[in-house]
Amino acid sequence: MPAFRFKSELWTAQYTGVKVNTLSAFTKALSKADEDTIYYHLYRNLFEYHFLPTDYPNSFAYWLAENGFPVLAEKFSAIDLMEFTSLGEVKSLLVSILEEYRGNGEKMCKPFYFIRAVRKVIDTGLVAENMEEFKRGIMEAGIHSLFYHLVSSRLVHEEAVNDFSLWLREMGEEEKAKEIEKLDLMASSLYEVRERIREILER
Amino acid sequence: MLEEYSRFIDSGTLRELKRLVGELKNVRILHINSTKKGGGVAEILSRMVPLMEELGIETRWEVIKGNTEFFKVTKKIHNLLHMPGGESLNHDDVIVYMKQTFENTNLIDTDRYDVVFVHDPQPLGLIIKKLKGQKWVWRCHIDISTPDEEVWKFLETFVNSYDGSIFHIPEFVREGVKIPAFIIPPSIDPLHDKNVDLEEDFVKNTLERFGIDPSRPIVLQVSRFDRLKDPFGVISAYRMVRKRHDCQLVLAGSFADDDPEGEEVYREVLNMKGNDPDIFVLNLPPDSHREINALQRSATVVVQKSIREGFGLVVSEAMWKFKPVVGSNIGGIRRQIINGITGYLVNSVEGTAFRIKQLLMNPDSRELMGKNAHERVRHSFLITRHIKDYLMVIYNLLRNS
Repeated sequence: MPAFRFKSELWTAQYTGVKVNTLSAFTKALSKADEDTIYYHLYRNLFEYHFLPTDYPNSFAYWLAENGFPVLAEKFSAIDLMEFTSLGEVKSLLVSILEEYRGNGEKMCKPFYFIRAVRKVIDTGLVAENMEEFKRGIMEAGIHSLFYHLVSSRLVHEEAVNDFSLWLREMGEEEKAKEIEKLDLMASSLYEVRERIREILER
Repeated sequence: MLEEYSRFIDSGTLRELKRLVGELKNVRILHINSTKKGGGVAEILSRMVPLMEELGIETRWEVIKGNTEFFKVTKKIHNLLHMPGGESLNHDDVIVYMKQTFENTNLIDTDRYDVVFVHDPQPLGLIIKKLKGQKWVWRCHIDISTPDEEVWKFLETFVNSYDGSIFHIPEFVREGVKIPAFIIPPSIDPLHDKNVDLEEDFVKNTLERFGIDPSRPIVLQVSRFDRLKDPFGVISAYRMVRKRHDCQLVLAGSFADDDPEGEEVYREVLNMKGNDPDIFVLNLPPDSHREINALQRSATVVVQKSIREGFGLVVSEAMWKFKPVVGSNIGGIRRQIINGITGYLVNSVEGTAFRIKQLLMNPDSRELMGKNAHERVRHSFLITRHIKDYLMVIYNLLRNS
């Protein structure tokens, strides 16, 4: 029986030194941004505000809305991050949305500061060898760990399926694996997601 | 002590901190600042240092020495970095600063530490003691984005000799900073007297002591008496609100004995209050933490109408107590308040009055925003998050060596 090792990811923020004041400069900087910068503004922000009904799910969209680009802001918000398995793919999509824009890209805007996430994966020390331990591990490991296994790990391994579902499949729990795959992380808080997983596992 | 925090934070956080510390075995940390008591830096270090020790990472805290003349110069440096415009540094100031810095290099043992955190500009020059293999971090708690050029020229070499820097928000980073700049907001301590739960009787007695009516709505701003906190704007907003809504205004803060401007602002505020019995201007001793806590817990709406702020952690303190905050759309305040969700961001006296009215009239909104506000602080502005960020900086710098 395969053991599930609960990992987690911690991060802090580092200013890249890149500050832009126009949409054109924003597009250019975004196209050059490294993966940890994309991670910070999209994924880390998703984590940061997961429990609040914010207007937009990421800081790119907030900046676009604040500076008079509501359509672009909505397009940036509608991206389902769970559909991507690499940060490069997400970045390409964002840049292509911006490149299609035909309005005034030279208008002076409030500054946008590009920040990168300084990330580190840690082993929480929690291990599950059966369903009981797995359930307990999910509740004890915390939401950073939940976010890692449902979101970040997929990007690391370029894997479409989250770690929990992969393990459940190995355990022969296809239905449970499928149900967890369907959870909408863009529209629920991580606490709700955790509770929902607990319910699925208890069935 | 560490376990006491577990009731405030997510189940995995303490475990994660311990695991991270496990990877920093035998690393010795030193914090250096300019005062053991008073001010936000000393307050956070007094809690953070024992917590880091308890986590199993050797952490010490030293304070630089200096005479009045030295601290006059460092105050001047602080002001010129934060708000240019005054008289710049002169030759004598530089000599005073360097002389005392050399004296401090003999008084503070930095050699036995792996990572040294130097807080704010006063001890900045100690970097000349850096040994090969050590990592030195400058933790800047103020906005230095538009400093006096002369002062910046003097400090730039010191700053860029560090291995890394930490600022509250990216807006505060000066463009000439060439070393890695980490962005780490400050935090509040839920176990500090400012934030602990209080007995209802204490809260009630505090209001009674100041003559405030607990049965009527209270609008509160907590801040020292300083023009940059715009107490006059708050009174103007209150007067607009009062035309149609019953409420009381409490302006609670303090001014130091050696701060002539504070006293002047206090008198002007009293003058503007006039004979309005519903405005309470409270000049409290600096250690009135529980009284401020009680006022925040009693408030219906909390306001922070600053013109400029270091970060404005008092906003998080009120949010922690389930209060929606109406705050200026500037710097650190806009990082704490999520407009329309945990409170409101405003740009004028009129905007402040409008949002205060909205909140006074809508108890359901207040409750919902208050809950969101508390959750926001629990998630992002508690001391445990701050410790995690520092550990991540330490890990990152050592790994890259």
